[in-house]
Amino acid sequence: MTKLSADPAPACGDCLRRSWLLARLSAGLDYRWADVSRLTELLALDDERLLRAQAGSRRARLQSDYLRFDSAGLSPRPGVGTVCRHDPGYPAALRGRGAPPMLYVLGGPDRLRDLTQRPVVAVVGTVRASDYGVEIARSLGRGLAASGVTVLSGASDGIAAAAHSGVVEAGAAGVAVVGGGLDVAWPARRRSLLERLRTHGCVVSELPCGTDGRRWGPAAAERVVARLSEVTVVVEAGETARELASAGIARSLGRMVAAVPGRVTSRSSRGTNALLIDGARLVRGAQDVLELLHAGSAARPVADGTACVELEPRLAEVLEQVGEGRDSPDRLTDPAADADEVLLALSELELIGLLTRGEGGRYVRCV
Amino acid sequence: MLARAHTFTIEGLQTRHVTVEVDVRSGLPAFTIVGLADAAIREARERVRTAILNSGFEFPGRRITANLAPGDVPKAGPGLDLALGCAVLAASGQLPGERLDTHALFGELALSGELRACDGTLAVALAARERGLKTVVVAPACAAEARLVEGLDVAVAERLSSAVRVLRGGSPDPPGLSPSRPPHAIRRESRQPDLAEVRGQHHAVRALVIAAAGGHHCLLSGPPGTGKTMLAQRLPSILPLLSSQEAIEVTRVRSILGSAPRGLARRRPFRAPHHSITTAGLVGGGQRGWVGEAVLAHNGVLFLDELSEFARSTLDALRQPLEEGRIAIVRARHAAVYPARFMLVAATNPCPCGHAGAGDRCGCTETELARHRRRLSGPLIDRIDLLLALERQAPRTLGERPLTSSKSARERVVEARERQATRLAADGITMNAHMDAALLARHARLDATGEAMLQRAGERGLLSARGQHRLLRVARTIADLNASGRVRPRDLGAALALRPEATLGGSRAA
Ligand SMILES: Nc1ncnc2c1ncn2[C@@H]1O[C@H](COP(=O)(O)OP(=O)(O)OP(=O)(O)O)[C@@H](O)[C@H]1O
Ligand SMILES: [Mg+2]
Repeated sequence: MTKLSADPAPACGDCLRRSWLLARLSAGLDYRWADVSRLTELLALDDERLLRAQAGSRRARLQSDYLRFDSAGLSPRPGVGTVCRHDPGYPAALRGRGAPPMLYVLGGPDRLRDLTQRPVVAVVGTVRASDYGVEIARSLGRGLAASGVTVLSGASDGIAAAAHSGVVEAGAAGVAVVGGGLDVAWPARRRSLLERLRTHGCVVSELPCGTDGRRWGPAAAERVVARLSEVTVVVEAGETARELASAGIARSLGRMVAAVPGRVTSRSSRGTNALLIDGARLVRGAQDVLELLHAGSAARPVADGTACVELEPRLAEVLEQVGEGRDSPDRLTDPAADADEVLLALSELELIGLLTRGEGGRYVRCV
Repeated sequence: MLARAHTFTIEGLQTRHVTVEVDVRSGLPAFTIVGLADAAIREARERVRTAILNSGFEFPGRRITANLAPGDVPKAGPGLDLALGCAVLAASGQLPGERLDTHALFGELALSGELRACDGTLAVALAARERGLKTVVVAPACAAEARLVEGLDVAVAERLSSAVRVLRGGSPDPPGLSPSRPPHAIRRESRQPDLAEVRGQHHAVRALVIAAAGGHHCLLSGPPGTGKTMLAQRLPSILPLLSSQEAIEVTRVRSILGSAPRGLARRRPFRAPHHSITTAGLVGGGQRGWVGEAVLAHNGVLFLDELSEFARSTLDALRQPLEEGRIAIVRARHAAVYPARFMLVAATNPCPCGHAGAGDRCGCTETELARHRRRLSGPLIDRIDLLLALERQAPRTLGERPLTSSKSARERVVEARERQATRLAADGITMNAHMDAALLARHARLDATGEAMLQRAGERGLLSARGQHRLLRVARTIADLNASGRVRPRDLGAALALRPEATLGGSRAA
């Protein structure tokens, strides 16, 4: 258990009341989940206006509950720390209009402060990632974490999960912002990640424990992710407003938006390609992100460990072809060629770590 | 007077010798059968009586007691009729008893006195020879099947009276013209599926040849309609033909199950149970010693199409046969051990919708993918050596020449198997797939490069300890197909590309 769980510093009553109010309004807010800008607007309102806008027919009762709210009645959860905007430990990057006044933190507010004082990069994207997206997100997570950058993301499937697992591969842990209470159960396949975040990183939510996960939650979490980060890297996203929301929020806050280019024919790269046209920075790997972070500063960042190795030509050729999408033995060999030689090359590349296997055993090029 | 006749009963897949003892003595007319007989045998009383009368013999109007010994073996089926009838005739002095000691009698009697064929003739004939009997008397339709057993005379009897003639030293009836054919003639089977019909999929076809050569269990993975089922069905066509010993085993089982073999089976069995099969259906068991698909696949191929749809408990039951090559079935009265050494071939889609890995077509969520992977992983996939990854083929491949025909593939497989058998002769096994860790250490030694590759794979978490063994077995087979005495790095590399773990989504599953 971290020392922070026992941290006596009580969050201030107003901020607690705010998160209590959000939890009460959660069901109603869910109608706004698809329209992220409207949702962001709503969340930026003060308590009274928010109540007026969202309480509907329950307004009178909510209002009287609101007035009688007593934070003493809330028992703190073990392991869950809190930090509100009146605390000195509240991440500076978060401050500003529309920021959540209060955060619940698994892993402790002190660690959150430490982690957010380093350079912070958000690695975000679609939940329906392709093997390519998963692999890139992973390698970004790995490379950035290895260079001492704090990697921030949501906790959903696809890009977010891949980014976190890359960070874990580098022996570090990042920050996950979730859209429900911190006691909402994680899917079994990510329990070990949760454990890792609890012990080495942070899980952050603006909703009190006991609040169910709803669809508006992840959308709201994205604004926290975008606020906390210096650079938001979109790895893969379709062209829907929902999938491009993080980028939009980051841009509106004046933060740097970067995107990983993809094939023009791929649904899950349409959004990122569009971002690039709109002026997002182009990112091919962790190195590019590091350069964005340190642009202007003289200090060169630590290079990604897997930087170029001198490859034998036969391996380089196969690697090249896999990168071009000839990602299975059948696509790589013509019937007359020596199939074993190609398989050997693929296996060697996999052993070196330049290739990995995706769904159905396909080869995916690592970055 | 007391008379004895020899016959056999079939229990599950086992033949049990039965002595039919008949005692005829004075008393009120009665016909009693004792000794764990089933309903069909109790009804035999009526059949035997009428058949004897209709054959022009006399049915003793005295007290007849028939005992089926040994008393603890349950007896089933009508095949005991002939022995019963002949023993009654002998006990009533209408037939000299001495030849009954050397003849096995097997067949059902019709009311007219005609002898009818029964399932399991081959099994009975084998058991009769083992028992040291000289002759087996069977119905004409069973003659060809009984003749498959060398060293045993087969006497054909169309009727009870012909059987009596044989037992008196007379000549048997000519073998029926009916369905029988010369025993060893190759059956002109309906056109067999051939590997040459598969277009494209060269990688998978090559892997199938490797699986066949080493007897490796394998997994076919690919989108719908890419030929998984098609490929699996062609596996028997590239496996070596059954050896004569195996052929007898396979034919015997078919004979017992009544799929009337004509001549010895030559091709390996191919069993493809539907995924709704129960555990008992797959491995056998139940009250009457049901024979499961795994046993029927002995010496052949057990194909589980749509692996992820099978019940987990059902698949778990396959562990024993996969490990030991046999199935022990224990029931109230007895335990039976059936041979069940088969090649397991499983097929699956890479994800619930089938299109994972094929660009944007897959609409599955991460949760669905995870669930799919979970259903596939587990004890079964742990015993699978090889992955055959199929993919959607470009239209032009449909016009391409096929990689190989079944005939030439089989030749390569047979050659590789001979190489294995020679090497493994002293170890009591014949195939690479059956090598354990100790044998691998002896027969699949790697050079320094290979060792380094293996170690690297371990370090990168690509292989478990068990996975290493599987890898070495496959590498050994690839070397055998390439006529290489040693396992070279290229053999190991190819084996690594074919490892089944790779289908579980390497980049996501970690
Ligand atoms: N590579 C191929 N060469 C020739 N014919 C093919 C090939 N692949 C598929 N076909 C044709 O398509 C039909 C369907 O193939 P098959 O039933 O083997 O697909 P499957 O992979 O088992 O699909 P499912 O996942 O739906 O069971 C075959 O009967 C065959 O006629
Ligand atoms: Mg099929």
